[in-house]
Amino acid sequence: MITLAAPVTEVTVFGLSSGAVYALIALGLVLIYRTTGVMNFAQWAIGLIALVMYVVLSNLGLPGPVAAAIGMAAAVGGGVLSYRLVFRRISGSGQIIVILISIGIAQFFSSLAAFALGFEQFTRLQPWLPVVDWHIGSVAVRSSEIITAATAIGVAFGFLLWFRLSRTGRALRAVAQNREAAMLAGIDAVRYSSIAWGIGSALGALALLLVLPHTAGEQGGLITVFDVTPFGTLLIPAFGAALVGGLVHLPMALVGGFIFGLSRELLVLAPQPWNNLRSAVAAILIVFLLLLRTERFFASRQELEALGG
Amino acid sequence: MTTDVLQPVTTQPAEETSSDEKAERPRWRPTRGHLIAAAALIGLAALPIPFGDFGFFVGQYALIYAIIGLSVVVVTGYAGLISLMPYSFAGIGAIIVGVALGSWGWPFWLALPLGAVATVPISILVGISSVRLKGLYLAIATLTFSNALGETFFKWDAATGGAAGWVVERPIVGPIDFSSDISFYVLCLVAVGLLVWMVEGLRTSRTGRAMLAVKDNELEAQALGINVYRTKLVAFVLSGLIAGFGGGLLALLLITVTPSAFQSPLAEATSILLVTLVAIGGMDRAIGPLFGAVALVIQQQVFQGAEFFFAFVGIYAAVVLIVFMMFRPGGIVQAGKRLVEVTKARPALGLAIWAFVLITNVGGAWLFLALS
Repeated sequence: MITLAAPVTEVTVFGLSSGAVYALIALGLVLIYRTTGVMNFAQWAIGLIALVMYVVLSNLGLPGPVAAAIGMAAAVGGGVLSYRLVFRRISGSGQIIVILISIGIAQFFSSLAAFALGFEQFTRLQPWLPVVDWHIGSVAVRSSEIITAATAIGVAFGFLLWFRLSRTGRALRAVAQNREAAMLAGIDAVRYSSIAWGIGSALGALALLLVLPHTAGEQGGLITVFDVTPFGTLLIPAFGAALVGGLVHLPMALVGGFIFGLSRELLVLAPQPWNNLRSAVAAILIVFLLLLRTERFFASRQELEALGG
Repeated sequence: MTTDVLQPVTTQPAEETSSDEKAERPRWRPTRGHLIAAAALIGLAALPIPFGDFGFFVGQYALIYAIIGLSVVVVTGYAGLISLMPYSFAGIGAIIVGVALGSWGWPFWLALPLGAVATVPISILVGISSVRLKGLYLAIATLTFSNALGETFFKWDAATGGAAGWVVERPIVGPIDFSSDISFYVLCLVAVGLLVWMVEGLRTSRTGRAMLAVKDNELEAQALGINVYRTKLVAFVLSGLIAGFGGGLLALLLITVTPSAFQSPLAEATSILLVTLVAIGGMDRAIGPLFGAVALVIQQQVFQGAEFFFAFVGIYAAVVLIVFMMFRPGGIVQAGKRLVEVTKARPALGLAIWAFVLITNVGGAWLFLALS
């Protein structure tokens, strides 16, 4: 037991931090899906805008947090523009068209990212969170992990409170529940949908910026070719997390993020064949959630029909 | 939507009249569709000639992507099931053909079918889950399956040959040596011609019409006595077989088969390319992916060498996909029909648009190659 305690603590912190990242992406997905009926497969690529801005600006000498904030603002702009220019105009289309367009948006922004960073031999990534070892009891844990988990949990809970209590949050919920009725009550549905896209994009961007210190730390802050692949793969557990809340329930999506994060990291401790099958376990969990049809626990039939799912 | 719902009902009498017509008209006459298909094949056969060896490589690549795209036509275009699996199916086909030729030393006429059949267990698994899942949920499920395959099967070194992959040799059949680019190009062309013809034939067959009925309205299809469960399974299995076969050809084209391209389907450029070319070609008809492949793969391959332009092609493809889905969701097939109408009504304007499209696509690529 004493020998196991150290890895368990370490792995739990890892799990909490990656769970928090999944949860942030999932919250953005659910918020956008509920208010506009679009499952945003481009969430990660919109977040990539923030990452690219961060890398470019921080290499120009701007302090890390400032560069990260400007990057997030750019991602919000990207998300709102995609809604205003594209998704607003296809509200009557079938689900296939919407999914294909969101894949197109993802391709657009990830190509843009490759365009902005892909030509130099090396891309220098500066971690914007301090990467030192902190001690919890006798166990050393990297500080960036703890900050990631704490920031993400703080932002997620802050967002949920704001969504529940503020005027904007109430209007957003009204648009989500019944778009036509909300418009009749004088709520500008387009404006609040834009706000949902903006906030959703900001959450996704923050998630990717929080992932950055991990990748930067592992590769010594210097990566040869800017590879977008690991960021795209983040979408899978985020879908899983959103499915825990039936794609519509925000607090359950937060819980789902931690379920997927913790189960993924805790499997590291599992015996040999299993710790290599972490993605397969996540996939089985997702298919199980899909077959369970979790959405029926959280939304009425009418709401689901309005979402077109 | 309401007019679509009626379609399954109207297909029933249509079947009777068509069989009557067959009795009256035993002679086969080419329809306009046949002529278009023939013209497209002849055009494709001639297209690479001015570009030499490189042209034939690009042509083979485009044709093979058109074949893999046909698997999307069957499962999504006909049966209405959103599947992001075809790229992974193609990967399975490519890897299995790689193992069979490169490691076990099988003859290619056994290896290619094996590559296609190897997809069946996975497609049945996905097909079973598609019975309960629709639309967005099915899209997430297929994406998850595809990603899980990328993390397990495509990272299994014993099967995939690891980072080095498998090296295959193109076969020599009698007097024809398929290691020459021209003969392999002709082989691909024949395969595309046959498969387009078969998939277009499927559309009017009993199974194909059952798929279209299921796409329109599942409950009504069931009421008409169509076995929805079986129809969906058949769609997925056919889709897997076609994509697996295309993947096998891809292995023969590339000669070295590595798994890395199939490991993360969500972010992989070639995976997105496949989705894009099917969507902009038009996935309701079998000829669609061929149009999409000619329009996109040529550009992608031509600009591959130039990094600056290559990133630009990704942006270009994305914009084309978004614009097509917003304004012409039927793809090039639909836009082409519209253009034919315009040409009939106002020949000058129509011909000008045709010339513009041809010049920007073919001329741009030629100019780039000539200058570089």
